[in-house]
Amino acid sequence: MSQTRPVVLLAYLLACWPVFGAESETLEHRIPPGYEPIEAEDELGLWMEMREYEQALKQSALLVRDPDVNDYLQEIVCRVAAGYCNDFRVYLIRNPDFNASMTATGMMQVWTGLIVRANSTDEIAAVIGHEISHYTLLHSLATLRALKKKLATGTFVDIALILATGYGTGLGQTMAALSVMSFSREQETEADLLGVRLLAEAAYDPHASYGIWQKIIAEEEAAEVKREKPGAFGKTHPDAKLRAAYLKELVTARYGPPDAEAVADQRLLSVLNNNYMLLMEDQLDTNRYGRTKELLERHAALGVEPSLVRYFYGEMFRQRGKDGDRDLAKSAYLHSIELGNAPAKAYSNLGYLYLKEGEIESAKTHFAKYLEIDPDASDREMIEFYLED
Amino acid sequence: MIYRIALLVALAVLASGCVATNYTLVAPGARAFEGMQVSATSGWNQAPSMNTPSMQKGAVLWTHDGPLLDQLIIIPGVADGEPLMKSSNKSAAMPVFKKDMLPNEIEELTESTFVKYFGEGNAVVTTKNLRPQRYGENRGVMFDVDATVSDSPKYRGTAGAFVANDKLYMLFFLGAVPHYYDKHSAAATSVIQSAMLTGGSNVPVSK
Repeated sequence: MSQTRPVVLLAYLLACWPVFGAESETLEHRIPPGYEPIEAEDELGLWMEMREYEQALKQSALLVRDPDVNDYLQEIVCRVAAGYCNDFRVYLIRNPDFNASMTATGMMQVWTGLIVRANSTDEIAAVIGHEISHYTLLHSLATLRALKKKLATGTFVDIALILATGYGTGLGQTMAALSVMSFSREQETEADLLGVRLLAEAAYDPHASYGIWQKIIAEEEAAEVKREKPGAFGKTHPDAKLRAAYLKELVTARYGPPDAEAVADQRLLSVLNNNYMLLMEDQLDTNRYGRTKELLERHAALGVEPSLVRYFYGEMFRQRGKDGDRDLAKSAYLHSIELGNAPAKAYSNLGYLYLKEGEIESAKTHFAKYLEIDPDASDREMIEFYLED
Repeated sequence: MIYRIALLVALAVLASGCVATNYTLVAPGARAFEGMQVSATSGWNQAPSMNTPSMQKGAVLWTHDGPLLDQLIIIPGVADGEPLMKSSNKSAAMPVFKKDMLPNEIEELTESTFVKYFGEGNAVVTTKNLRPQRYGENRGVMFDVDATVSDSPKYRGTAGAFVANDKLYMLFFLGAVPHYYDKHSAAATSVIQSAMLTGGSNVPVSK
């Protein structure tokens, strides 16, 4: 962590705290339930574009169509949105990263990476409340209008500079783009503040609003390869640490301290257990082992099916391949098998590890067990090759 | 002034032939790449290097109808500790080849690499039907691939790979389903199965 970060955080909180306090109490929805634009041409155009986008999204092969997990999300949306429930359509996208988004028309996208990272339904509800706030505060339309206005001004400045100096610098357009990003950060803060209120009104734990950000911060700290961050003026969202800090201050001041540590409810556990193979295989494909390990530690504590969690520990250690990881992977696979609900692949991947160490008989035993459990395995030909070799 | 100098340098580089800017015809027959040779039964078009910034040195992309519809990527001689593809993004966490990798790990390396190739988060790449395949005198593997990419058609394909002299040789075909996969799969599979070390002799497929 840089030396300047705490100073910047403190300065930001000192500067913004009175604003947060005042604004969060006075922020109101800017549209009624069932809202549709009538006159404004730019808004009508935006809605038309977004409706076309939604039609395309409905065909996407990346959509998770499992009814159980979609019902789960829809229930959360309706509870948080209350009277606005019918304004939203939720689409769960197969993407292992952490994100959700909302359009002006009420089309909400939730990435599977959010479900993997949440410790409770309340934390998912917190993100959904934030997105619903973007919708009812008309943020997409405000961004569109700000962008048009600022880019027009930027173009005027650029033309004036060319006439004055003879050089085209693009300075006006650059300043306009930076200004729009700053505007976007203000909107994010507004959505955070209204989101907290919606969360509490829906009887979800408002402390989850910063809890989810604390998880993201912990994951980033555990990462072996850090993500590249945009510069201070290039960010469209406030820093995760700043968000966690101001939300914690606000929620604690308004609702008091948290009752207890957030725990996973059975509904979330059921969703995780039923979709765990898909969710974690996508996470593994990111090749980000520090993050995956951090998620697995959290899932183990939450009570996700232990055989599955141990299996993915095995996958993570085996694929990472650092010194000592092979032994850790073997131990994790064996533990997964011992727990009684291991995926068939635990046997074949354990077999490959034995093969690597020259323990041919152990390899063959586990390969044979794999085919016994999954006789229709698509890699049967490969496994039979080793059994016969 | 600095823009003019940059423009002149760019033009000089292009004129010198250091950067290929046009597709070139690959005639049927044998082709060699960095220690590996393949045999094509039909003509292909090789993409210019400036269109394939993710490719490592020596790797090429062939296509019939354009890379968005079908692509055969040939990656010869990936050394221990090196990625199959390169990325300018320092935080991309590209997976790397390790010389002791077994078939299941090569399959996983392929999945993870092509997730990064299409853009992490924008693609889901899955593999199946891992099977043995002989490449000249070397044992190797083949497997089938499905790739779902945001805002793109759905792809299906086949990958072939073998390790020789501690280096990985990989060939990877993807075609948009159903039409372009069906149209080019046989030609691509034929190229993949013809791969072998330069100077080697191909023998009938056997275990």
